[in-house]
Amino acid sequence: MNTNSISPETLKTEYVSPEDCVFFTGDGGFTGAEIRGEKHNRVILKRALPFGAPDDYICITDVENKELGIIEHVGAFSQEQQTLIKKELSLRYFIPVITEILSIKEKMGHFYFDATVQGVKKSFTVKDLSKNVRSHGENIDITDIDGNRYRITDFGSIAPRSRRKLEPYLY
Amino acid sequence: MKKDKKPIPPPDKKGGFTPAEIAALAAAGADPSHAICACRGDMDSACGYRDAWLWFDEKGFTAALGTEEIIPSKNRKKRLEPKIVITEVTHFPAEQIEKLVCERYVSTGRLLLKDDNATVFAIGFSISRIGQFDRLTTAFNTWKETGKAELPPEKDEKEGRCKKCGAPCPPDKDFCRKHDKKGATAVRLFSFFGGYIPQIAVVLLIMLSGSAVSVFLPQLSTRRLFDDVLSANNGVTDPAELMKALGVLVLSIFGIRLLNTFFSSLRQYIQGSMMPGVVYDIKVKIFKAMQRLSVGFYSSKQTGQLMERVMRDANNIYWFFVDGVPGIIIEVTTVIGVMTAMFIMNARLSLVVLLITPLIFTLLYLGEKLFRNMHHRTWVYNSRVSSMVSDNISGQREIKAFAKEDDEYARFAKTSGDFKKAELKLALTEATVFPLAEIGVIILTAVVLGMGGVMVSNNQLSTGTLLSYIVYLEMLREPFEFLSWVSNWWSRCADSAQRVFEIVDSDAELKEAENAVQMKELKGDIEIADLDFEYEPARPIIKNFNLQVKAGQMLGIVGRTGAGKSTIAGLIARLYDPKKGSIRLDGVDLREIGFESLRKNIGIVSQDIYLFMGTVADNIRYAKPEATMDEVIAAAKAAHAHDFIMKLPDAYETRVGSGGQKLSGGEKQRVSIARTIIQNPKILILDEATAAMDTETERNIQNSLTKLKAGRTTLAIAHRLSTLRDADVLAVIDEGTLIEYGAFDELLRKKGEFYKQFKLQSEALASAGILDTAPENGGDHEEDN
Repeated sequence: MNTNSISPETLKTEYVSPEDCVFFTGDGGFTGAEIRGEKHNRVILKRALPFGAPDDYICITDVENKELGIIEHVGAFSQEQQTLIKKELSLRYFIPVITEILSIKEKMGHFYFDATVQGVKKSFTVKDLSKNVRSHGENIDITDIDGNRYRITDFGSIAPRSRRKLEPYLY
Repeated sequence: MKKDKKPIPPPDKKGGFTPAEIAALAAAGADPSHAICACRGDMDSACGYRDAWLWFDEKGFTAALGTEEIIPSKNRKKRLEPKIVITEVTHFPAEQIEKLVCERYVSTGRLLLKDDNATVFAIGFSISRIGQFDRLTTAFNTWKETGKAELPPEKDEKEGRCKKCGAPCPPDKDFCRKHDKKGATAVRLFSFFGGYIPQIAVVLLIMLSGSAVSVFLPQLSTRRLFDDVLSANNGVTDPAELMKALGVLVLSIFGIRLLNTFFSSLRQYIQGSMMPGVVYDIKVKIFKAMQRLSVGFYSSKQTGQLMERVMRDANNIYWFFVDGVPGIIIEVTTVIGVMTAMFIMNARLSLVVLLITPLIFTLLYLGEKLFRNMHHRTWVYNSRVSSMVSDNISGQREIKAFAKEDDEYARFAKTSGDFKKAELKLALTEATVFPLAEIGVIILTAVVLGMGGVMVSNNQLSTGTLLSYIVYLEMLREPFEFLSWVSNWWSRCADSAQRVFEIVDSDAELKEAENAVQMKELKGDIEIADLDFEYEPARPIIKNFNLQVKAGQMLGIVGRTGAGKSTIAGLIARLYDPKKGSIRLDGVDLREIGFESLRKNIGIVSQDIYLFMGTVADNIRYAKPEATMDEVIAAAKAAHAHDFIMKLPDAYETRVGSGGQKLSGGEKQRVSIARTIIQNPKILILDEATAAMDTETERNIQNSLTKLKAGRTTLAIAHRLSTLRDADVLAVIDEGTLIEYGAFDELLRKKGEFYKQFKLQSEALASAGILDTAPENGGDHEEDN
């Protein structure tokens, strides 16, 4: 197969470095970026590995979902730039955090959770725990039947009483 | 679950809020009574949890933040009343807002109010509310653009309020955990047995008499045998008399047991003839309900899940009713009968039994609760092992190609090891808990034996009575064990039943209009106006799409992968309904046309072909079962399928589909084309219909289809652009929008997106040696040969 016939843009991975990519807060508070001299008033940042490496391989696209480049490591950017990148990422990947599990009750295949989420008491229902409770490292993500996701950050550090309630359901 | 009680209406029903919400908003100085569209939010602008009320009316957009507390009512029969406190109201005059934007993130979303480039306000919401927010956004933007207050169709999203108390509950349920009674499911399940009342009555009678006999039998076989016949104190000294008494007793026991066995067989016979009928009813009901549901339902559920519902859930219900329900009746009546007999025989001993048995029962029940989790864990690991085996078998070609046999083995060994560990833990726990309960029974028997022995020696109790008492004690062990785990069994059955009823009660997303227009024969005019469509809220697939195709024309749809070509085809065939805008056939909105007229007049050949179980001929005449063999052969010839079919050993009677003869992708596509040709639709949709074929076969089929297209409207989607040369007009789509429209040569001359794609394809083929010249070199675009 002659590779000349394949459009070059489909093969090339465009990594961006702090030298050729500068983020800024644009109109309306959106994160914008100037990439290789081209100014974009709004860019969207997406994680390629949201669980495994949340600060590596960040894909930058424009609002039309056209890829503008990939950040290999966020850590390579200055502190100020990192703050902007992380602010944008935290907006897109915001997941309410569970700080306490008050009770888990099972009835007819539904698991009824009462928990403190973001400082507020919240009740939600989860079906099929083996699929909807996902551990990655020390974090645990729980997805309820509405598609809402909740996260326990550092399972080892929450109160033992809360831990004991969830432990039987971790597979 | 029976939907007999009116739920608390979702907030944006009829464009407004509940009276309590309106009162609270009014108290805060806001007036939502003239709202065009409204919705409830659950977060503030920083994504912190706050209750929010959002709406727009002629004056503009208003957002109110506050709290809603559900106050438990003292009167238990009364619904819970929400207490709403509004703390913040923000209003934006309509002229200040250019448009609303609804953005979807991972677990949340944001609603933005935009004025030119700037955002004047933003509010977050949980992802579960995106449907409502998207609806509000679309309604506002339409109103802003057109001045018309049009509400987009409401998605079937329940607010998730308990019908009984109004407390929050899962949206797929009608009641909260407290009021979600298993009883209601049981009543509905028993309705499946409505047609078998006489049989059930006989079965119940036999069960009860069987229990009575088993309770009575120890009296005869132990107490009377011992006290009246075998004991030296019974006063009978004549051996002949003794033998006679023994003979009568043995014969009575034999007769009763024989009768019991006969009735037990009769019960099994009646049950055996009744239960398959019930399971048949359940399966047919699910299957019928599934046929009624739209394609969207099937896309959102995995095939495995649905198969489970039809097969496993129906079987779960079956086994509970075959084994569980009779078991409950028998064991409960046995316990009652045995305890009564024991009390009649000796009340003092029975009091001891009454004191100790609840302890044993509690131990068994707690053990069962502990095992439930462990059983579930082993079930999950076992499913993973099964999935891995199935995955491995299906992917054998890839495994061999990448030489990954060892890795696969290691993966399997790990998963299998997890399963082993879970099973081991369960077995060891069972081995610890059950002997504890067993020890309880042994202690009880020892206490009864000790106390009974003393009573026998004091002549307060006969030896026969004590022995039959011990037999009764043994008889209690099985019911206790059974009753301790039957609740778990019932939970599984009720869980299955709920899933079954979920399908049976599902409303079809696509409904036939009440006074649907029946159009025997369509002309074939298609008009698409202002069409918007999305599979998921806030992820638009088709945007403001407009197109007209005249009857008899061939329209080619061109675009990159994921541009929305197949979605357009699906929308024209009404596999989905648009979010906004309309599709008209011969001037009639698709939603107004009867399903039968639609299906008869529109034929689709897609790239994902499914052949049903049956012969090749059965598959070709699927749309027209009455088609003659002449028609079948003619259709197969037109689809260039005849030759390969005749090469098969059983020709047109070759079995295909699951478990049948394997056909290649191209062969399946040809059978599918023949199937559509025989249907003779007025609108023919070819969605990459010839993609899996070599260029020669494709060209031959194209020629056949060209002959067939006379008098019918054809929509052809193709990646190989040269196959669309015969199209009267071409539509080029990108990101769900129409970007170019015109005849083949006209679009080439225009040198736009179509030209770009055509040039890329021609160059690719030219460099591969298939085509000598690229278009700008004066080639005739015939790259196929």
